[in-house]
Amino acid sequence: MSKYALFLGCTTPIKVPQYELSARWVSKRLGIELVDIEDFVCCGFNQGNLSIEGGLLLAAMNLAFAEAQDLDIVTLCAACNGFLAETVAELKDEATRDRINKKLSLIDLEYNGRTKVKHISRVIYEDVGLDRIEKAVKRDLSKLRVAPHYGCHYLKPKSAFEGFDEPDNPKTLHHLISATGAAPIQYETLLHCCGGKTFPVSPDIAHLLIEKKLNNLQTMGIDAMIVQCQTCYLMYEGQQQKVAEKFNTQYKIPVLLYPQLLGLAMGGDPATDLGFDLNTMPLDKVLAKVEE
Amino acid sequence: MSNKIIRTAELDPNFKFEVTAHESARDLNYCFACGSCSAGCPIHEVFPDYNPRKLAKMIKLGLRKEVLSSDYIWYCATCRTCEQRCPQKVSFFNVLNVLKNIAAKEGYAPTAWVEQTKQVMQTGIVFPIEETCVKKREQLSLPSLKGEGKKAKKLIETTGLDEIESRG
Repeated sequence: MSKYALFLGCTTPIKVPQYELSARWVSKRLGIELVDIEDFVCCGFNQGNLSIEGGLLLAAMNLAFAEAQDLDIVTLCAACNGFLAETVAELKDEATRDRINKKLSLIDLEYNGRTKVKHISRVIYEDVGLDRIEKAVKRDLSKLRVAPHYGCHYLKPKSAFEGFDEPDNPKTLHHLISATGAAPIQYETLLHCCGGKTFPVSPDIAHLLIEKKLNNLQTMGIDAMIVQCQTCYLMYEGQQQKVAEKFNTQYKIPVLLYPQLLGLAMGGDPATDLGFDLNTMPLDKVLAKVEE
Repeated sequence: MSNKIIRTAELDPNFKFEVTAHESARDLNYCFACGSCSAGCPIHEVFPDYNPRKLAKMIKLGLRKEVLSSDYIWYCATCRTCEQRCPQKVSFFNVLNVLKNIAAKEGYAPTAWVEQTKQVMQTGIVFPIEETCVKKREQLSLPSLKGEGKKAKKLIETTGLDEIESRG
């Protein structure tokens, strides 16, 4: 049994609750205990745009909240994962940690470097393992052909992840998908970014990025894309029809969060356990290929 | 970023020192302009005008105002492929953050990012917590959100981040 503080981030609980719902559902059944810390705030990644120190302080504040309960953090968002893990690495430097702790003392907090950070997919990969996932499968997903999308901050910066997977040639999400019985594909634009951080400043450029990937996937005969970050989800699914209209084409590529796919394999109710009806793209064609 | 004639009298030779004085951008000194950053950049691929190598060169030349007032520094998708591919281990992602921090202090911050900070100081996250969201979470039996930004605000106020105004 492993135990983590669940770091929801900003976007998932507000805009993509099906990610949270399905992550909680699979975690409970795979022996991952998730503890809610209601004091958690924004991870600070976006604040770093305007103030590197401001971003660092918010990240450290979150680490300190988890450390006060002797817990490591598990994130759902790839960017929270990358930024919080990078902050753990940065705060190994004593002078930096002292400077940050001086400010954290204003709100009666302190971070001593004990709390570590992992993404939910990594926790499933390492703590549960592929064998136990395969044993937990109750439905046959072998007719599903899907495209993994890793999310940039799942594995970057590389220095923050102790050799877990390889950002230039990642494999773990492929393995996690294979363990559910579905077939993951390799494709040209695998490593392309979703453009989520470009979108607030230039939706046009973000749309060009999204189009590049959807255009590539359109020719690959897939049943769905599998993502592991709510921002990637919102870009590829939420922006899909706008991009299709803009580029005068048609896209109907369903996008699932990894815990939704895993939960489906494990026998969860698509609607009530995994939030399939909260996805904007209809998932009936995906479900039609799944056998009880 | 226009391709006009560069007049040396208008350059700020101290700009590169101003940027590399920040620890996270110090490694820019090791850049030998190979262009691996641009070759791997997904934004450059779909929008070739955005070019990390060119930005690095502009910093070194001292095109201070052109760089800081440019929309381009805010287009970075933060995918960090540039730092992953750099043979000199320069994190152009970190260099851009330093540029954005300086630009923000000088009044060039995009409204979207400034609004996010204001929101964090209220609810602790970058969104307001609206009634529809509260109801949806109740329906799904998900725990309620505290939506408290006071402690985050206190920390943010020590950095001057709360005083940054958007370019409007």
